[in-house]
Amino acid sequence: MPAYHSIFLEDRDVPVIGNFPVLPLRTRTRGPAYTLPALPPTADTEVPADSESYDCVDEILSLFRANVLFRNFEINGPADRMLIYGTLFISECLGKVKPAMTAREAEKALINVALDHFAIPGDVSFPLNQAFEPPRDRQDAETLRQYLSQVRQEIAVRLHARLYPGGVGPSKWWLSFAKRKFMGKSF
Amino acid sequence: MASQTPAVVMDNGTGYSKLGFAGNDSPSFVFPTAIATKAAGAGGASAGRPPVGNKPSFLAGGGGAGSHLSAKRGTEDLDFFIGDEALSAANGPGYAINYPIRHGQIENWDHMERFWSNSIFKYLRVEPEDHYFLLTEPPLNPPENRENTAEIMFESFNCAGLYIAVQAVLALAASWTSSKVTDRSLTGTVIDSGDGVTHVIPVAEGYVIGSSIKSIPVAGRDITYFVQSLLRDRGEPDSSLKTAEKVKEEYCYVCPDIVKEFARYDREPDRFLKHTVSAPNGRSVSIDIGYERFLAPEIFFNPEIYSSDFLTPLPNVVDGVIQSSPIDVRRGLYKNIVLSGGSTLYKDFGRRLQRDIRHLVDARIRASEARSGGAKSGGLDVAVVTHKRQRHGPWFGGSLLGQTPEFRSYCHTKAEYDEIGPSIVRRFALLGGPGSS
Repeated sequence: MPAYHSIFLEDRDVPVIGNFPVLPLRTRTRGPAYTLPALPPTADTEVPADSESYDCVDEILSLFRANVLFRNFEINGPADRMLIYGTLFISECLGKVKPAMTAREAEKALINVALDHFAIPGDVSFPLNQAFEPPRDRQDAETLRQYLSQVRQEIAVRLHARLYPGGVGPSKWWLSFAKRKFMGKSF
Repeated sequence: MASQTPAVVMDNGTGYSKLGFAGNDSPSFVFPTAIATKAAGAGGASAGRPPVGNKPSFLAGGGGAGSHLSAKRGTEDLDFFIGDEALSAANGPGYAINYPIRHGQIENWDHMERFWSNSIFKYLRVEPEDHYFLLTEPPLNPPENRENTAEIMFESFNCAGLYIAVQAVLALAASWTSSKVTDRSLTGTVIDSGDGVTHVIPVAEGYVIGSSIKSIPVAGRDITYFVQSLLRDRGEPDSSLKTAEKVKEEYCYVCPDIVKEFARYDREPDRFLKHTVSAPNGRSVSIDIGYERFLAPEIFFNPEIYSSDFLTPLPNVVDGVIQSSPIDVRRGLYKNIVLSGGSTLYKDFGRRLQRDIRHLVDARIRASEARSGGAKSGGLDVAVVTHKRQRHGPWFGGSLLGQTPEFRSYCHTKAEYDEIGPSIVRRFALLGGPGSS
């Protein structure tokens, strides 16, 4: 049983930039992503996969602890690239959170990582350029950057909720995965 | 005399030796297959001084020679320990530890002979001339090794009778105690996982299909290392190998799906446990136990998460082994997959293995149905047998077969050995095969 793939591979007509998918997100950050309905305020952090609000960030977070153990991953379609990007970004985030940080400090650190200058597919410093195509033109590149920024912020916020359940933490169960390298790569 | 005594069953494995009497439920002795002998060149070295750097006796000069005379030939042959005593003796000065069995086969016959003599006289305390012996051998053991064994058993120990059985066949016999097994056949696939290596051995009607045996470099020791690495990643206060081994033995189980299992740990925090390690100095530390409970045995099913050079999951190996066996026994091999050895004891190990192999088989059947254009397959039955005697499977199988009334007629006796010579043990009639009860 190899690493887990994205269930969004089955979704047809997902717009792509290069070969990176622009999947819908459940987010308050403004950007190019199609916005899914927000969850009811009482909802759990774990969203069932058949809910209409279930997005790729939920999937990335639930698959992270399993997939990060794997060194090989076969890319079956654009949605898997989103999974790779998200998994590597979570690893980067976990590296920034130190065991002694309070919830407030960690939140700040995570938002900083999300908003920091980052490389997009096609940039020289992007580590996965063999598998990711560069965007076609300047405009596409700008859209992709905005979209990825949305993804990064959303991951950072939701990861923070998992790291500090009930405001206490950080959870060492999550931090223990910081050293693992999915596919042997890291940002 | 010999007609009433129970047979002695000895299963000498690479790691542990299991000794006992036929008819018993469990072996009387289980200890490491290790022997501690006077370290080479130690001679009359005074206690406390390491034995290295001693001159050979012919260089030691006149004065020194006297103290070495006793060491020339005589008592040092008797100065050795086996089993757990060997391990503790080797911690002190003057003794070196030896493991006479490597990869299941006897490598050092002199050490093995002394190991056996201590096993028989010091541990089991029996007179070999009064007992029949049932020994085990790994699959593909060369006949010369059998002859050597017979030579030692008959000529050094003068034992009454000898039978040498293949471990995998005995493991199949041990599974007869399971309520799931009805027909007591000696056809099946044995998955034998100990500390060092895991073997998948197909057996057809009591004979091992040697060309199809596969071994996997993932076994108990690797699981321990993996647990240790998980404990270290989390920064637990104690992550020694011994602790990792304890955690592995006490808390691990096999889960159906790791992603779902992670989510379950999020929902049910009482799945996280605490383990207390007490240090010899009286202090004790408590460590948390979490995901390693199900991740550790997962390396059988996803070796990729542990090793980078071996990537084939156990179910695929088993399927490959059966597919490479003769076509007329494959159905029997799928129907009777028997577990044996300490690393197969995890809860739900058999269930997961059965499910995964069934997936592979069903997928292949569907594919060939599609290719054949409309033909329907009758399906293939895949069953993994889990039973209560898995830990010492081969020994228990030996105990089971050694107590049958016809066991002695299958053995070669001392008289037959004297008549024909060591080559007699190249062939044994199949114990427990068709025709016997």
